[in-house]
Amino acid sequence: MAINPNEPKIIGIISFASLNKDNINEKLVSEIVTYRLDDSLKMVQLKEEIKKEKFGNLSSAIQNKVILASQLHNKEINLYDFSRGLTKKDLDYFKRLFKKMVSYGKIIKLYSMSAELFINCVDIIRLEKDGKIYESNTLFDDVISQNINPPEIIKFINCCQKNGVHLDKYTDINELIKAIYRIKA
Amino acid sequence: MKFNNNINYCILSDKIDHELLEKLNEYNIVTDITFENLKIRLENYLNKTICFNECFHKYTNEEKNQILNLLKLRNITFINVTSNIEEALLSDYMYVYHEQELVMEGPTKEILKEEKILKRIGFGLPFIVDLSIQLGHYNILDKTYYDIESLVNDLWQ
Repeated sequence: MAINPNEPKIIGIISFASLNKDNINEKLVSEIVTYRLDDSLKMVQLKEEIKKEKFGNLSSAIQNKVILASQLHNKEINLYDFSRGLTKKDLDYFKRLFKKMVSYGKIIKLYSMSAELFINCVDIIRLEKDGKIYESNTLFDDVISQNINPPEIIKFINCCQKNGVHLDKYTDINELIKAIYRIKA
Repeated sequence: MKFNNNINYCILSDKIDHELLEKLNEYNIVTDITFENLKIRLENYLNKTICFNECFHKYTNEEKNQILNLLKLRNITFINVTSNIEEALLSDYMYVYHEQELVMEGPTKEILKEEKILKRIGFGLPFIVDLSIQLGHYNILDKTYYDIESLVNDLWQ
C-alpha cells in the first residue's frame, strides 16, 4: 500500500491520561525493553547500568525514556505524558529523535497536556471533547489553546496582537527576535 | 531544604525520584490530580503548605490561574517540584538540582540571572526571561522581564 506523504506522522493528542504502570513497576528495565536492549537504551540517552533497575524505583523522566525504548521498534509508538520530568534540553533531543523516527515510516502518538511537547514537533493536534474529535495543525488555534496551556511564545504573540502589534505565527524564539528587530529598527 | 510560611518554592530537578520526594515527606504531596479534584482539595485544605509533584503542566492557563488564586485566597503556600523552568516564575525561592546534587538555591530572580549554568545543565531560561535578555543584546530592552504583559507594554509603548 502506498504511503500518503501528507498523512500526519507525529500526532499530539490533548489528554490527561497517563499510562497504568502497576503491572510493570516491579519489573526490571531489561524485562521491559526486550528487543535490542543496549541500542535502545543508548538511543533514549540512558546508561547501561539502568538495565538492572526496577522500573518503579526510577524517576518519572527515566520511566518515560524506558517506555519509549521498549517501543522503538514498533510501527506505532504511543507515549503518555512523555514530557513529564524532562528538561528543555531533553525535549529538544526527543523532538529531533521523533522526527528521525517518522522518516523511517513510524507513527508516533503523544498523549499529553503539555503544549511545550507539541510545539515544533507534532504534525497535527487532536482534541476529543463532548464526544467530538477536533483537529488542528497549529497551537495558535483558539479551540486548541483553550484546552491546553499554550507555549509562552504563543501567549507572547497573542498578547502583542491584543496590543495592536501583528506578528506572524512564529514558534522559534530566534525568528521572533528577528521579527521584533525588523519592526523596531 | 528549609521552607518558611508565606514563601512559594520551586524545586527544579532533572531527576524527580523517591529520594527527592522523601525530603518532602512531612508535606502533603499532590501528584497526578485533575483540576476539579485539586480545586475541591484546596477548598477543604486545612494545612498551611502543600507540595505539588509535577502537576502544573497538566492544567490549562485558566485552570492554573484559578489554582494560584485559590492558594492565595486560602493563604496556602506551595512547594512545586518540577523539571519545567517556566514554572520557576510562579515561585519566590528556588532550589536547583542537577543529577541529584543541589547546584543552586536562592530567590527566583537571582537564580534566573545564572543563565549560563541553567542552560548548561539543560533547564534553559523561562521564555520571557530569555526573550528580554536577548532583546537586550540588540539594545531593544534594557532590563529583564518576568511577565509577558510588562514586556509587551514596554516593548510597544
